[in-house]
Amino acid sequence: MTFLVPWALVVGALGMAGVVVLHLVARQRPAAYLLPTTRFIPDRRTLVSRITTRPRDLLLLLLRVLLLASAAAAFARPVLSPSRAPRARVLLLDRSADVANAADAIAHARAVVADGVPTSLIAFDSGAVLVGDATIALDSLARDTARAERAGSLSAALVAARRAGASLAVTADSVELVVVSPLAARTLDAATDSVRARWPGRIGIVRLSARTDSDATPMLERLAGADEPLAPALAGMRVGIGATAIRLRRTALDARDSALARGGGAVVRWDSASAMAVRAEALAMGDDVLVAMLGRGAPLARGRTIARWSDGAAAVVEEPMGAGCIRTVAVGLPLAGDLPLRPTFQRIVRGVMSSCGASTLFAPADEAALGRLRGGSALASAAVMAGDDRRPSPIATWLLGLALACAFTELAVRARSTPEFA
Amino acid sequence: MTAGPYGALLDSVRGVRWHAARRVSGATLGAHPSKLRGNSSEFSEFRPYRQGDDPRRVDWRLLARSDRAYVRLTTDRATLRTAILVDASASMAFPRPELTKWVRAREIAVALAAVAHAEADPVGLTISGAPAFTLAPRARRSVIVEMIRALDGTTPGGSAALAPLVTGARAPRVVVITDLLGDLDDIIAAATLRIAAGGEVIVVHLVASEELDPPNEALLAVDPEQPRMRRTLDGAGRREYQRAFAAWLDDTSTAFRSARVRYVRAETSEPAAHLVRRLAGETGVRGR
Repeated sequence: MTFLVPWALVVGALGMAGVVVLHLVARQRPAAYLLPTTRFIPDRRTLVSRITTRPRDLLLLLLRVLLLASAAAAFARPVLSPSRAPRARVLLLDRSADVANAADAIAHARAVVADGVPTSLIAFDSGAVLVGDATIALDSLARDTARAERAGSLSAALVAARRAGASLAVTADSVELVVVSPLAARTLDAATDSVRARWPGRIGIVRLSARTDSDATPMLERLAGADEPLAPALAGMRVGIGATAIRLRRTALDARDSALARGGGAVVRWDSASAMAVRAEALAMGDDVLVAMLGRGAPLARGRTIARWSDGAAAVVEEPMGAGCIRTVAVGLPLAGDLPLRPTFQRIVRGVMSSCGASTLFAPADEAALGRLRGGSALASAAVMAGDDRRPSPIATWLLGLALACAFTELAVRARSTPEFA
Repeated sequence: MTAGPYGALLDSVRGVRWHAARRVSGATLGAHPSKLRGNSSEFSEFRPYRQGDDPRRVDWRLLARSDRAYVRLTTDRATLRTAILVDASASMAFPRPELTKWVRAREIAVALAAVAHAEADPVGLTISGAPAFTLAPRARRSVIVEMIRALDGTTPGGSAALAPLVTGARAPRVVVITDLLGDLDDIIAAATLRIAAGGEVIVVHLVASEELDPPNEALLAVDPEQPRMRRTLDGAGRREYQRAFAAWLDDTSTAFRSARVRYVRAETSEPAAHLVRRLAGETGVRGR
């Protein structure tokens, strides 16, 4: 048992010592003595101080000491600490759409928890759920075969991990955090760094294969030219001729474009920016919002909206055609400026230039972000993790009740006691 | 006449003479000088015969020598009725359990009664209480035994007033044996009235040694006649108590003497016989 306010015990001990001393050096009523000439004694105090070696009124002394002891222990906020393990672990398991193989993810998680360290499992996609003890929870997750459709949010998972870590800190000296995830770029957001800072230790990362790591990776039919604003965003994509290739058209579509689309390819119709007047606009696509000087093309009436303007009007639409699709973009790009270099713009471009049916394209988180995520080399200390989250044991309430009972009993005993007369 | 534990006391006061403070007016022949002149054998003086004098008291020899008629005057002696009042209030039952004050009061009462009875004076006893016990003054031989029996059968208690008993005593000489811790002012007033009426009042003020010098340890003093009066007697309080008590004793003595009351202070450490000899020796009109 530990105490959150240990000085209350010191105060209580001093109080108890004082009570014992008062019972030893009590102002006692002396023995009565019948004296006919009492009237000649000055009428002053009726008590005298006596030092005795044995405390008087043992019952009252016992009640008062018990009252002080229980009150001091209650105000010291006792915490009943169970037996502590040297280490505990929080495991964040990515269950988002970015994970290529859920069974593979569970297998990696099993490998992590195989060392027998007590582990709390948190499954996360756009939200996070504390599933419980990892050994048991992984079995139930393995039976869940539903395909995930949501993007992952590491920030939500880290918040849940911080809360679970505080609970584990009560029973362990240090807490380890392990993330099992493909860690797509979109899994991290603007809040991730500040939420990460609240975890006072290192984070282990087990990278999984992403769903788009395989042959689903989009392939551009032709690399954009060096003077093309989209070139920086598309620089990392494969280039080649194929039935599922992605074609960028700056002019009107023809029969070959229709043929490509019917064969499973994607044709992106994106007019040249020079034809549109630019102005300040906000473009939203998924979680990304781009505010920049943009041109706004003619309104788009048909197709599935992939990106919208700030007023809700469609900015990019997709019309299915055969096994593929035709995507129309009504966004004019300025000929000058740093817009092509902005990460948000690049993510939107990659989303537009993705395969049919996919709104976004998997992009791994960059190494700098992963480095910040890993943090230092030390595990999180339980003392730091617990912080103010330690709660006093309910025994404090019982101790206060005992103190009150002692106080009432002491009053009753004192009321019943009568002065001593020899 | 000796009885029980009082035997030694009565032996020790045998022969003590307790004279009246002034001439007595009784007609019964006794040991005290009488206000009356009669025909006893103790010659006093001659006085010229006046009409109405008893012719038998005319000194015929002097008539024959001087041819003038003189009557022969003699000094008469009479008895003096004596009432002894004993305070039996709770304050006399001190210190416990010996009750030395009450024991000494009984001894003084019996010894004084014996001395008076030895001079043929009628002796009576009154013990305060509710109701008071009264034994009318008598000269018969058994009166001392009756007094002893009454005193031994009394347990001090209560806080009955003494002044009414002083006023109502049916004897010219009244002895009050008390600690004066009751109705002191009333006693002084009653005694003053009796003295003004020609009586004699003797107050024996009994003071216990423990009252003059109480125990040294801290005590909660409780007045036996007023149990609600409780005061702590410790070091400093003890010194103040002794000063206050001594001052009260002096004031009391002065008050009685101012009222021409015979005041005798007696500590319980003083033997009763010694006190009786002291009291009897200081008083009396020597017979002329």
